[in-house]
Amino acid sequence: MTVASQVKQTLAALKGCQGTIRLYSAQAQKEEVRAVYDEVLDATAEIIYDLEERLSVLENQEPQYKGN
Amino acid sequence: MEIWVQILIKSASLFILLLAAVRLMGKKSVASATPFQLVSYIVIAVLSALISANVISNPALGLITLGVWLIGIIALEYLSLKSKLAHDLIYGKETVLVKHGRIMEESMMKARLTGEELLRALRAKNAFSLADVEFAVLEATGDISVFLKSDRKPVTARDMNIKIPPMAEPQTIIMDGNILDEPLSSLGLSRSWLMTELDKLGLLLDNIFIAQVDSSGELYVDLFDDSVQNPQPKVRQLLYAGLEKSQADLAAFALQTQDENAKAMYNKNAKKLEELLRSLKPYLLN
Repeated sequence: MTVASQVKQTLAALKGCQGTIRLYSAQAQKEEVRAVYDEVLDATAEIIYDLEERLSVLENQEPQYKGN
Repeated sequence: MEIWVQILIKSASLFILLLAAVRLMGKKSVASATPFQLVSYIVIAVLSALISANVISNPALGLITLGVWLIGIIALEYLSLKSKLAHDLIYGKETVLVKHGRIMEESMMKARLTGEELLRALRAKNAFSLADVEFAVLEATGDISVFLKSDRKPVTARDMNIKIPPMAEPQTIIMDGNILDEPLSSLGLSRSWLMTELDKLGLLLDNIFIAQVDSSGELYVDLFDDSVQNPQPKVRQLLYAGLEKSQADLAAFALQTQDENAKAMYNKNAKKLEELLRSLKPYLLN
């Protein structure tokens, strides 16, 4: 497994978590709870952005593994 | 008129009259009635039994007696609702029995309460030692309420500085295999949502005795078939575990990479995720 594919895996897992949190945020009955979930959503979005950026660098470095 | 017809008519009309009167007297339980209320309830009950069984042969006289007691009670209750003074006069005031951890012997005398009875009531409230009691009061209904010393009180989440997410009451959405639409829609959920959740658990509607949804949208079910393990919600724990794994991955990437910029980025995000996990913990793991 190359580094790029490892990062890709983590990225996919994080995106999955983000989806679940978004669902919880939508389901939350109380404003307080929703605020916590929304804050987490913002933060995960930032992390995902960083990881995607890093992934494109990695794929540039190892173009032969692109898409794995 | 034959006597049995008289009794039949009287009993039937008293039955309805009493039903209406008891509804008018409000929802207070008999267990929390003051002594006077209890006595008047008994008087009404005995009177109506006597009238109904034709022991009081003149129905007009019987009804007058019953009416006085019924209207009297309802009037007193209304009066005590409107005025605090009237309430205290009619039902009596609460008596302080223990203050600052010391027993007020004078109040005990006034309430005709022996030390033995006080100790028994305290024990019933789980205060076996008098040293644990800061304050105790004899309510007008005869109950004794106890306020424990602050270091003897059960620990709450606030005492422990534990953050607990606010929870509203759960709603019952399936009873006896039938979907209850009103609580479901009060949570903003639909039948199709419920069906999806049941599919996820691999359950049929007919197999479910009771299902409840808590305020965070988690479904709890109890099945008719008790030999089957009840599937319990786990999505939250899985989400927490997933985030934890991602956090560990990021920390590992930070160690593996040679690129200084990337190392800093991974470390920053690993730390960020760690903070998120800390704030999510009370919501996902409980």
